[in-house]
Amino acid sequence: VPRIENRIRRLRFDAGEMTQKDLADRVGVTRQTIIAIEGAKYSPTLELAFRIARAFDVPLDQVFTFHDE
Amino acid sequence: MSFGEREAASGLITTLIVTLLFLWRISGQYADGAFDGPDALQTWARSVLVLVAWSIGIAIAVFIAVAILHGILTGETDDDRKDERDRDIDRRSLTWAWYLLSFGILGVIIDLALGASAFRAVNLILALCGLSEAFRDAAKLVLYRRGA
Repeated sequence: VPRIENRIRRLRFDAGEMTQKDLADRVGVTRQTIIAIEGAKYSPTLELAFRIARAFDVPLDQVFTFHDE
Repeated sequence: MSFGEREAASGLITTLIVTLLFLWRISGQYADGAFDGPDALQTWARSVLVLVAWSIGIAIAVFIAVAILHGILTGETDDDRKDERDRDIDRRSLTWAWYLLSFGILGVIIDLALGASAFRAVNLILALCGLSEAFRDAAKLVLYRRGA
């Protein structure tokens, strides 16, 4: 089953314990959407994925990884 | 609980209240013989219009009550934004509800073709509208909780 995993929790920790609310405000979504993405319950659009990566100033593949098995 | 989730919960409660009120009103009118005459459909339509007016007021009251209750229970400040996840869930639940309504109306047409009365058909269509609305809100809540 294809699965998208993410390192948002880790990246938030590395960014000085950035809160989910702070990240949500930076990328223009609700805190609940960040919670859903972190918990792999929602796959963001490509646009939002890029905005999240930009918020941490890292390439996209350091935030999201795709497993096709 | 996001704004969209609260909206779905409010919608579900509103549909339940309005359905119960409508059943109470229509069954009362039916027992009084209001639908026995030749103008049964006009009487029914007037009752539905009253119901629509009620439902708007009830929807506003329930939405405010849910928002206040949510604020008291969670202490969260109200965030009334809707983002791409909300729109995705809206789109999916609307599609499922649309299928339910479409196949339901097809069933009513078949029922009419088999000899059902127009009065029965309009009641079934109205019930289908309520059911599909409730289904849409329930589907939203499931998608918010289970993941979209």
